[in-house]
Amino acid sequence: MEEMSLTETASSQTPPLDDNLAAAWLTYSLSTATRGKLARMGRLATLVTGEVLMREGDPSDHLAIVLEGRIGLRVRVPERGPITILTVEPGDVVGWSAVVPPYRATSTAVALAPTELALFDGPPLREALASDAELAAGLYPVILSAVSRRLEGTRLQLLDLFSQRWVEPW
Amino acid sequence: MVAANPAGDAGETYFLRRELVNELIQALATDDREVIGPRVEDGTIRLGPVSSAVDLPRGVGLDNAPGKARLVERGDDRLFDQPVGPDSWKRWTFPPRVTQAVWTDGDGTPAIERRLENPPRQITKKAFLGVRACEIAALRVHDRVLAQGPTPDRDYAARRRDNLIVAVECAVAGGTCFCASMGTGPEVRDGFDLALSEIDDGFVVRVGTPAGAAVLAGLPVNPATDAQFEHAQASAARVREQMGVTLPTDGLPERLIAAADSPRWAEIAERCIACTNCTLVCPTCFCTSVGQRSDLDGQAASSERTWDSCFTLDFARVAGGNFRTRVSDRYRQWLTHKFGTWTTQFGSSGCVGCGRCITWCPVGIDVRDELMAVAPPPEAAVVARPMIEALPVVAPLPPVRHEQHGTPPVKTTVVDTHRETHDTVTLRLRTDYQPLINGKPGQFVMPSLPAGASPAISISRFHNDGFSLTVRAAGASTARICALERGETLTVRGPMGRGWPVEQALGRDVMVITGGIGLAPLRPLLDWLIANRDHIARIQLSYGARTPGDRLYTAELDTLLLSGVIDIAQTVDRAGPEWLGRVGVVTQVIDRIMCSCDKTTAFICGPERMMQATVDVLHERGVPDERIWVTLERHMDCGVGLCGHCQLGRFFVCKDGPVFSLAELGPAFGIEGL
Repeated sequence: MEEMSLTETASSQTPPLDDNLAAAWLTYSLSTATRGKLARMGRLATLVTGEVLMREGDPSDHLAIVLEGRIGLRVRVPERGPITILTVEPGDVVGWSAVVPPYRATSTAVALAPTELALFDGPPLREALASDAELAAGLYPVILSAVSRRLEGTRLQLLDLFSQRWVEPW
Repeated sequence: MVAANPAGDAGETYFLRRELVNELIQALATDDREVIGPRVEDGTIRLGPVSSAVDLPRGVGLDNAPGKARLVERGDDRLFDQPVGPDSWKRWTFPPRVTQAVWTDGDGTPAIERRLENPPRQITKKAFLGVRACEIAALRVHDRVLAQGPTPDRDYAARRRDNLIVAVECAVAGGTCFCASMGTGPEVRDGFDLALSEIDDGFVVRVGTPAGAAVLAGLPVNPATDAQFEHAQASAARVREQMGVTLPTDGLPERLIAAADSPRWAEIAERCIACTNCTLVCPTCFCTSVGQRSDLDGQAASSERTWDSCFTLDFARVAGGNFRTRVSDRYRQWLTHKFGTWTTQFGSSGCVGCGRCITWCPVGIDVRDELMAVAPPPEAAVVARPMIEALPVVAPLPPVRHEQHGTPPVKTTVVDTHRETHDTVTLRLRTDYQPLINGKPGQFVMPSLPAGASPAISISRFHNDGFSLTVRAAGASTARICALERGETLTVRGPMGRGWPVEQALGRDVMVITGGIGLAPLRPLLDWLIANRDHIARIQLSYGARTPGDRLYTAELDTLLLSGVIDIAQTVDRAGPEWLGRVGVVTQVIDRIMCSCDKTTAFICGPERMMQATVDVLHERGVPDERIWVTLERHMDCGVGLCGHCQLGRFFVCKDGPVFSLAELGPAFGIEGL
């Protein structure tokens, strides 16, 4: 895995981030004002396959919305190596831990394909959320709903529904 | 003294002196009939062969109450003054053990000898002496369940044919009797060849059929006097009054079904020890299992049908799970089926009010009390239920011809095998049996090897010369099927069940959502959808597997994906770093798919919990219940709606499903423990 060297796309060559956020299912429902505020705080970035966005346990420096490509969330299991437990698909958030204490990454996020992101730096985003109630009231529910969806999925995964647990009598 | 009219006018009434019962028994035993009747045995009243009046329980009563049955020596001459004992007539019409098939290995090729192809040869004719009103009702219930469905139980039909029914009208009510509540007694109204009412010095005998009249023809009987007839009627009226109406049944099925979440179920489970006694003594419980065994030298194997009970732990076991692990679930299953969904399934209650389940419950659980507690009637008033007139009369059943049996065993030949995963194999099987070649997507077969279990396996593809099965080696029998090689033989019964309603896909967006080996039953559907691609707006397959290595038909899916004929999204629950595809549950694939959801038809197959989560997402997205189709997994032992294992609400999943729309299932889908 390569360490992240986020390639930031020059703003003059890119469409406004607002359009990207309006198209992403995570943020399309935000009010125009909230989405505009958010768009002004972020930038476009790309990852090449294998590039790491954040590492499990490290401070979460970024919150990102995947616009294209695929991010794998991996956890390290001693003697089994990295296990991919979830992939983040376009429209979904990666790095929500950047706005939830203690601001540490809960898994390692690595690009499994060439990936384009709307990237937000953690510290200024946290400051904005602390000082701008309208932004916080708009953004936290969508972040929470994404985390809740992920929790729900994780529960189903925990059930290991497709496993064969014992020898059957037939 | 006159002889009875041998022409047999039904309704004629005679008087038979008690000392002539021996002659009656001898008359019943003509034509090599075996006479079965009540006897004192094992400290109670049992049913068994009766060769003379000495065998009958003269002067003996049975004092019964919840969890209690004690013989009482009365010292009089009366022969039938007892409530029923633990046996019911199903012991003879539906024996606890029946050999179904025998495989012999004479020339190296397993051959099937269907024992039931000549059932009358092995079954002696029976005369049942002492059949109570509730038991006539029970025989009728069994006739409906076992002999009047689309696939009659041939063994039952053969055993019921030519029964002579000598009814006895009860002169005493037991402490657990409640036939008056269930509308089945105590008066014997019909369904008999002869009906006896015991009075002081003999019996008032009513003739029900010409066969009954023929029995009476050789006996020295007199026409009953008015006094004798009135004495008999008064006796029956006294029993009705003695018993009273203890269980209000109006609206009971609906009340019970509405009480699925009652806390009372857990409370009952603290007393119920799941011993199965209630189901074994019940005259209408009909659930069976089929077991296989082989002799020690491997020369012959047989399959044997035995009584089973919904109280056993493995009754609702399916691959990878068990729908009713808790006793409370099993008690609820029994009670709600017997008194509730039985009515919607078969047109009558499954209970006849004989009280055996109360008497022989070792902890004395009284279903009358439990029903009143779980599903109390809206009003306190208890109304006597009129005698049921709607059930079909007990009539000799016509012989069931072999060709009427819908699913004869068919030999198929393995022409190709393909290993899908570490434990799953696809077998291509050749046959010229047209019903199999022309089966419907979603139907299943029951394959079996000698001495092996016969699991339900969905057909995973149809071919011009046969079909394919994708089988996971879950246990010994399926492992043997997976190990079959080209040229070997596999016997199957099928096709069974109702398949996918493919026409529901026409003109619509179609979402096919599946997980694990659930893709196999959907593959024939996908084949059909692709063959009819021009008539379908969009086809989206969402497929989840445990790991990348557990996916089925991978090469085929890759080809399909490249062709662009259908959209395919695959996901796995977990993966190593080499997997660059999706990881996550299948619901997270479909919750973001763009679709015209109000115009979508969804077909789903997978573990029930996965299907529930999927249905939740589809509901959120506006897909109506009528167009959400699921295929249910339940324990299927027979495949034709006879063994009872897969009963769910008003359905047998094997014959009424396994494919259902959510609208059909209603609340039966997704209730834990159902």
